Amino acid sequence: MSEKIPISLSVNGQTHQAFVRAEDTLLQVLREEFWLTGTKRGCNQGVCGACTVMVDGKIVRGCLTLAANCGGREIGTIEGLETDGALSPVQQAFLDSGAAQCGFCTPGMIMAATALATANEPLSDNQIREGLSGNLCRCSGYIKIIDAVRAVRGGSVPRGSSVPSGGGGA
Amino acid sequence: MTGSVSPVGQDIPRLEAREKITGRAQYSDDISLPGMLHGAVQQSPYAHAKIISCDVSAALALPGVVAVFTGDDIGYHYIGPFVKDETAIAKGKVRYIGEPVAAVAAVDQPTARRAVALIDIEYEELPAVLSIDEAIADGAPLVHDNFAELVRVFEADHGPNVMSIMQVEDGEIESAWADCDVIVEGEFETQAQCHAYLEPCSAIADIDANGKVTVWSGNQSVFHLQANIAQSLDMPMSKVRCVTPRVGGAFGGKMEQTIQPIVVALTRKAKRPVKLTLSREQDFEMIRSRHPAQVWMKTGAAKDGTLIARQVRILLDSGAYADDSPGVNGICALFCRGPYHIENVSVDARAVYTNKLRAGAFRGFGGPQVAIAGETQIDEIAGKLGLDPIEIRLKNAVRADEEWLGGLKLSQSAMSECLIRVRDDCDWDRRRANAGEENADGKKRSIGIACLPHISGLLTSGAIIRILEDGTAVLNTGAVDNGQGSDTVLVQMCAASLGLEIDQISLATPDTDSSPYNWGTTASRVTYMTGRAVVKAANSAIDQMKQRAAMMMECAAEDLEMRPGGYIGIKGVPDAQVSYRDISGFSHWVAGGPVIGSDSFAYDGENFDPKRGFIKGFPFGKIGAWVFAAQAVEIEIDEATGKITPLEVWSAHDIGKAINPSSVAGQVEGGVVQGIGYALYEEMVWDTGRLANPSLMDYKIPGTLESPPKINTILIEEPDETGPFGAKGIGEPPIVGIAPAIANALAHASGIRLRRLPMAPESVLRALREKTDVG
Amino acid sequence: MKLYHPSTVEEAVSLLAEDEDARCLAGGATLVAMMNADLIAPSALISLDAIESLKGISTDLDGGAVVGAMTRHASIAEATGLDGGQNIVARAARVIGHPAIRNMGTIGGSIAHADFAADYPAALVAADAVIQVIGPAGRREIRARDFFVDYMETALGPGEMVGSVRLPAGPAYAVSAYEKYARVDGDFATVSVAIVLSEPGSQCNHARLSVGACAPVPLWSEEADAILADNNLNDDAITAACDILIAAADPVDDFRGSGDYRLALIPVLVRRAIASARTGEGGKA
Repeated sequence: MSEKIPISLSVNGQTHQAFVRAEDTLLQVLREEFWLTGTKRGCNQGVCGACTVMVDGKIVRGCLTLAANCGGREIGTIEGLETDGALSPVQQAFLDSGAAQCGFCTPGMIMAATALATANEPLSDNQIREGLSGNLCRCSGYIKIIDAVRAVRGGSVPRGSSVPSGGGGA
Repeated sequence: MTGSVSPVGQDIPRLEAREKITGRAQYSDDISLPGMLHGAVQQSPYAHAKIISCDVSAALALPGVVAVFTGDDIGYHYIGPFVKDETAIAKGKVRYIGEPVAAVAAVDQPTARRAVALIDIEYEELPAVLSIDEAIADGAPLVHDNFAELVRVFEADHGPNVMSIMQVEDGEIESAWADCDVIVEGEFETQAQCHAYLEPCSAIADIDANGKVTVWSGNQSVFHLQANIAQSLDMPMSKVRCVTPRVGGAFGGKMEQTIQPIVVALTRKAKRPVKLTLSREQDFEMIRSRHPAQVWMKTGAAKDGTLIARQVRILLDSGAYADDSPGVNGICALFCRGPYHIENVSVDARAVYTNKLRAGAFRGFGGPQVAIAGETQIDEIAGKLGLDPIEIRLKNAVRADEEWLGGLKLSQSAMSECLIRVRDDCDWDRRRANAGEENADGKKRSIGIACLPHISGLLTSGAIIRILEDGTAVLNTGAVDNGQGSDTVLVQMCAASLGLEIDQISLATPDTDSSPYNWGTTASRVTYMTGRAVVKAANSAIDQMKQRAAMMMECAAEDLEMRPGGYIGIKGVPDAQVSYRDISGFSHWVAGGPVIGSDSFAYDGENFDPKRGFIKGFPFGKIGAWVFAAQAVEIEIDEATGKITPLEVWSAHDIGKAINPSSVAGQVEGGVVQGIGYALYEEMVWDTGRLANPSLMDYKIPGTLESPPKINTILIEEPDETGPFGAKGIGEPPIVGIAPAIANALAHASGIRLRRLPMAPESVLRALREKTDVG
Repeated sequence: MKLYHPSTVEEAVSLLAEDEDARCLAGGATLVAMMNADLIAPSALISLDAIESLKGISTDLDGGAVVGAMTRHASIAEATGLDGGQNIVARAARVIGHPAIRNMGTIGGSIAHADFAADYPAALVAADAVIQVIGPAGRREIRARDFFVDYMETALGPGEMVGSVRLPAGPAYAVSAYEKYARVDGDFATVSVAIVLSEPGSQCNHARLSVGACAPVPLWSEEADAILADNNLNDDAITAACDILIAAADPVDDFRGSGDYRLALIPVLVRRAIASARTGEGGKA
């Protein structure tokens, strides 16, 4: 085990200080030192995407990033997306589309979607799917998640989810 | 009633959506307590071994270690929902590689991990049975050599390494074959599927001065968990309190205990809070899977397509502990007929112990294992008779006035309507006719169909509704929302029943100290079962309010009616009414007492009737409301690589009433994609007893690009007269028909029939090259 | 464990020389995953993040593209200015993992790790890239085809690190394709095929083919390349070239596919790669 070293990290525009081990990941430090538990640990191997955060405006895996390597960088997490209590457009779209089910993948998914939503051009469905391809969800089948991103940055293409059709059966 | 719109049937956003999309939702691992210790677990390196000794001295000597827990700390206090065969941690023997044998609580995670590795366990390795065939071979080593002494909570035959045998006989199977013009027969094999909920199992516990422990953990039933913890650690249930924070998916995998008994044991020894969160690898190795199955099935039909006979033998690989296996085994036996009228049916289903990870509940609960066999054979018969797959299914679809196996009367069935809607919505005839044509890339499209039966129900639920002083209400059911949206649905039903708005209902957290009993979030039952309790509790609250209002307005309670917006008024006199607020104030401070409506009940539907149908070894006396579904999947097949890509899905469900259509669609979409994983990608693989792919790197679940761009959810809303607002459950059915629909699509376009899941590209390519058996 | 942040290559090399259990930390996508799984516990990590000279893509006087070891997959995927042959490396970069992984992982880290199923090795062989290595004895160059030695083993000597990857100018009119077959999107390859072709006036004068994930190291054959070029990529030539590579293959059975399946995919993917190079699509990428 290593000695702890002092670090200073800028997270969501605020400077946080902590003593960490050299091997501590950004995910660990966000969750355990800064109490920013919105970022989730789903696999700790970089596969599931639940720990997706922004470093200098680009999405990375929190579980594969060493905290002590993030000095001088701007880190963004799910907790930093609201502005004065107002949801970000992507968050609002997730709310409106019913895109959060168990919610465990949701913060990482929203971070990946937020990176996608910075595109100037409207995104095709395929671009949305590729942009979210590194974030696993086990509840939703992705349909409403893609609906949400399309609502923010899509062209005018039909929804993947049919509006469930009822109507009294036979 | 006046103009306000009932919240039932509306796409109300999830109550907890905002906390989930802002990162504020708290899951077990997000909770920390002052002075909290961190847990770590040592796992068995042997598939089967006697534990000779545990030396924990080196671990305890490590600075920072506060408590150690091994089998030596407990007696043989067995738990298990059907067969009590499992202890809180391995004791005496280990029975699968990865089984927890020792645990440590220490001041931080690195110390706990180092310490747990220092626990020295001496084993004497025993011969192991690593497959169904090995387990049922003559003279096979026994996974539980004390099986005869173990408590079983149901009656069923058993044998060496066979924990339960379920038999069903309907009609005269032996003589029926002679009446068949066409008979198909085949062996099918399905794989272990990992639940792969995104949240690995985690639990945190604290203890008070009186020794009462509180546990926060992801689960599907706080009550089941409380009983399992108390029983396995020989504690009174009154000393165990289980609470549920947000749960990051479960799908059956968190129905029974996971690691909570270990965490509670550590907490009791340390007298401090302890948190243990599994790594993804440990979660794969330690918790549970879907049962791998071997199914032999034979089905016969008359020339006109009338199904006459079906015989089935099922073997379930249940792993080292019974867990929910007897239940799953029973459902396999009960559902393998499919949603069809078949006069002559004979089933023998056996749940078999092996020295592998236990298999347990998983969405579909045995349905997927038998659907691949049954729905394949329907298509094979259709093929031999030159009938359209939907036509033959419609011809045999079970009707409302018929009986199920075991003499159960069906009260309703929308099976045919599901089929007709899928056929119409997917333009079946056109897509089916065009199937097999190669596109510019040399890939073929095809479409296939499958049907399925399921139930929504089982056992017991309750609800308590208390009217607060200001006329709003608190609802408490103890039902855990695993992410499917049941919290919102229950509140919608509560609000609709009381005539209040959604935000006038506060929903209590499931807590064994305060919530009414709920057997579990399982068996597609919360909407149907807990929903019924909510409606009845609301009616009780309204009755009480009418009594108070009668006192207040000096009239008879029978002359009163509930009015939307929170009023009780005199029928026919619009101006004569009192508000819930005033009634509640009166109740609290003047007379009558606070209004508390409650209900608890056991599922009260049809019993199996041994006079009408022979059924033996099924662990439940009655099951639930029937739900049926039809699912079509359009796929693209790359015959050069064998890769199958699902393009579009149509999923029609006999749901009774969708309380929240958007959430229902979410359940259908998620189930469909989990079914695609089961059909095409997912398989837990063991190599000489060791799980060889316990990671999301090696075990692949579908991502955005593996999932179909379009999933059409079709709801057949024929209200169930027993259901709350006519509703039935939707959790499980959407996964069941996907693999057979894909298999049927593949057979239609490519002429190959796969009888083993998953239909990995390699298997498809091999079959294409062999083409020994044209479907 | 210690963590160093050298600002020059020389400093990094001397830190590496001091401690044989130290590891260079590039993007972390693989190294940190291995540390999280307790597979390795280096005594020290030498983060290369602060060494500006290792980042980015430049062009040299001979038209070669020099890709710094710390250049992220995402930057390579989006690189402009690569010629038709060099572009094979960008095509490979586009199908590595997922967006977040491409934002983290670097070409130097990837090739030093030398996973047999990774995407760069075959692409670098097809591009005839040269790995520029820095070590205690100074700098040296290793052709990509000689760089990969065995499973997770490269020609890097003790204390050496990857400095950059030089992609020589491709032949005139070169086109390329990287055809990857994986179980699911973003997975490591079951089989991958990289090809660089030049067919001025419909006459093939250059073909360089490499197959990934079918042996400890990327497969290549000068004989196969010659057959392809000399016979203008006709069907028999493709079959013959594939047969040569199949004979040289030594595939493993793993969760991504059996050895037999991998061999069966080689001709399928080679044909698809050639077709998509010709249409300019360049493979699934």
